[in-house]
Amino acid sequence: MESSQEAREVIGDYKAGWHDTENSTIRFDAGLSEQVVRDISEIKNEPDWMTQIRVKAYKHFVDRPMPTWGNMSMLKNIDFDKVCYYLRSSKATENDWDEVPEEIRNTFDKLGIPDAEQKWLSGVTAQYESEAVYHSIREDLVAQGVIFLDMDSGLREYPELVKKWFCSVVPYSDNKFSALNTAVWSGGSFIYVPKGVHVEMPVQAYFRINAKNMGQFERTLIIADEGSSIHYVEGCTAPTYSTDSLHSAVVELIALPGSHIRYSTVQNWSANVYNLVTKRGIAHENSKIEWVDGNIGSKLTMKYPSVILKGEGSHAEVISVAYSGKGQHQDAGAKIHHLASNTTSKILSKSISKDGGRGSYRGMVTVSSKAENCKLNVVCDALILDDKSRSDTYPTMEVSNSTAKCEHEASVSKVSDDQLFYLMSRGHTEEESLALIVNGFFEPFTRELPMEYAVELNKLMALEMEGSIG
Amino acid sequence: MNSINKYIEVSELPHRADHLWRYSPWKKVHPTGKVKDIPKEVKGPKMRLLNLSGTESPTGIELIRGVGEEIRLPDSDDVSTNFIKAISEDSKWILKTESKFISNEPILLEIDAGDEINGMQLTLDIGERCEFEIVTIIKGSTNWMGLLRTGRIGNGSNINDITVGLQERGTLLRVDAISLGRDAEFSTGTVSSGSERTKADLRYRLGEIGSNLRVIGSILSRDSMHLDYHIEIQHDAPQTFSRLSWNAACGGKSKTIGTGMLKVANGSKGADASQNFHNLLLSKDAEADGIPELEVLENEVVGCGHGIANGPIDESQLFYLQARGFSPMDAKSALIAAFLNSTLSKMGSMEVHDWLSKMLYSELKNMNSK
Repeated sequence: MESSQEAREVIGDYKAGWHDTENSTIRFDAGLSEQVVRDISEIKNEPDWMTQIRVKAYKHFVDRPMPTWGNMSMLKNIDFDKVCYYLRSSKATENDWDEVPEEIRNTFDKLGIPDAEQKWLSGVTAQYESEAVYHSIREDLVAQGVIFLDMDSGLREYPELVKKWFCSVVPYSDNKFSALNTAVWSGGSFIYVPKGVHVEMPVQAYFRINAKNMGQFERTLIIADEGSSIHYVEGCTAPTYSTDSLHSAVVELIALPGSHIRYSTVQNWSANVYNLVTKRGIAHENSKIEWVDGNIGSKLTMKYPSVILKGEGSHAEVISVAYSGKGQHQDAGAKIHHLASNTTSKILSKSISKDGGRGSYRGMVTVSSKAENCKLNVVCDALILDDKSRSDTYPTMEVSNSTAKCEHEASVSKVSDDQLFYLMSRGHTEEESLALIVNGFFEPFTRELPMEYAVELNKLMALEMEGSIG
Repeated sequence: MNSINKYIEVSELPHRADHLWRYSPWKKVHPTGKVKDIPKEVKGPKMRLLNLSGTESPTGIELIRGVGEEIRLPDSDDVSTNFIKAISEDSKWILKTESKFISNEPILLEIDAGDEINGMQLTLDIGERCEFEIVTIIKGSTNWMGLLRTGRIGNGSNINDITVGLQERGTLLRVDAISLGRDAEFSTGTVSSGSERTKADLRYRLGEIGSNLRVIGSILSRDSMHLDYHIEIQHDAPQTFSRLSWNAACGGKSKTIGTGMLKVANGSKGADASQNFHNLLLSKDAEADGIPELEVLENEVVGCGHGIANGPIDESQLFYLQARGFSPMDAKSALIAAFLNSTLSKMGSMEVHDWLSKMLYSELKNMNSK
């Protein structure tokens, strides 16, 4: 067991909270207009169809009211006019770390990205502010036809592929923030895995916000062709500022027949970031989509990874954990739509609230009238560690087929005195015992992560539990 | 401001994001569909209070005309409450018991809505340390009936309350806003097999130490019924206990909705709460929706949880019964009856249970004969 002191030595207080001096090559003035949208598109030298989609999305964003559900008191504090919608800190996306500007390279060195790449990754994209600054992929995967690019390069090099799938899973009109992302997207990952290719080691994208009042709007599109598989891992951090930043991503997954996509996230934004993300996948016949989603940081997270089970025999899993500390609201959950017969799904959600934090599970599962013999299971567990915090569960279940077997259960509890007593009687301090129990509570999530991420998460949680007792 | 003005002020369509109205928009529940309309000259239903056996009700409990103390629970829905108030100015009743009123024989409150639009307000004024069972029947062939029940269960009372919806057709709008006193035990059951559309907003507050609530539902929906129940339980005091068990069997082209909200306020130490919704889908076109919500602001709880399960009739159970001589129809009826009986059997004494069972079986026969 890593003690709290050891954890602090390793990662310190919100270890990613430093920031570099801002050396932007292009920085837009704060505020959003149609011209800003057109300018972003022009800088990127995009095809006309993409500019048109951006402009339509911008108009929809302007017309669409803010959501009337969720944490409206926090949402109304977002000042879209103070956000910077585009900032480029590097001239190009490099494929050699030595070519990346030194300050940016130092940032990613501190975050351990180059080291991780050498040890356990098939490819890496590192995004700093609005643009990818580094990108690489193992040569053997390239030889097999795997495409792993930042989204801008993907659009330049494979415009037909992008045009076919872009906005096909998450239309810009889906919600206000998907409209915003479609209007001003920049960066993100574009992945295509050819038929029958299995990418054995994960590929990783790391997203870093550095500047104040920055908005990061990456767009990720992953297409797994028939019988292929891929595991995509993303991590996110930002400096701690007194003003707020906005992160509003859109992720679209397309799992073609017989394929398997696993998308793992460890979100560790600083406590001044609004994290409003739309993630959705479409699963075709006998394919499988898994979202493994960890939400540790941010001020407000609203994120409900979704899967549309379109093909017969497809399967979806969402495993998510959320930690809500002081001033944080983790409003996370999952949505699964069973549109085809013999589809199955499983949602496991775990949350911990502490120091006045609020953890909410908000989920939806539907079974259409034509989907025979579907099975779905939803389990939500929450721990509240003190009397200032709260936990909510808002699940919706709509079942229109009589052959469906659907279960949902949720429970909210405190840390068991018996468990604490047991561990303390074996020599652990109360604080260590609590950290052990919390790590055990999150274990169904951490065991699904690559080992390096799991170790990091356990250290983070040990640190968060420090000072919980007394 | 009177109820009519209050209703006019709030009658704008409630937002769909508010899940109370998500599946049954107010304009579909309203008698005319024009939400600004307030029907005039509503007479009020015929009321009878007697023993379940048909004999005269005992002394110590009475049904009188009048307005009781207004109980308003936090977050109550203004639209439905004020609408019923607005149309039932001439139909206000109080069900009053003396303190320590005890009846060994179940009591029957009969509400006959007749064949016209109808609405009434009923205040429960239950004294301290009372013990009795009461079955409320809502019947009639009206197209629209509204029932608003408010009130308080006195300290230390132990009340078993069952509401049976037997309205032949039309819409039933039911609103409950009931508060439990210290150490009061209140079991409130709903048996529904009538009315084409039901919208119920049932709210209970455990605002004093040791109060204990059980909410039980046995719902049979058939044909093209649309039955929408929202149950909200608010724990607002230490050592409070609540259980919700809601079983719905959904046949025909019916739609059954069960939405729940369990709120545990900060300071409700030792609260123990759970909600369970079970839906049995009997036909291809039936639909069952559920949103069991949970908001917990207290960490020192015994436990707070909820569950929802939807599924078809178990094929292996059907096979078992048929292997023992049941016809397919009888086997299905037996399994539906057993499913509904698992909550029905929690609703009261043997006498009440027998009475409810007979009624349920006759409804199942009706369903199978169609």
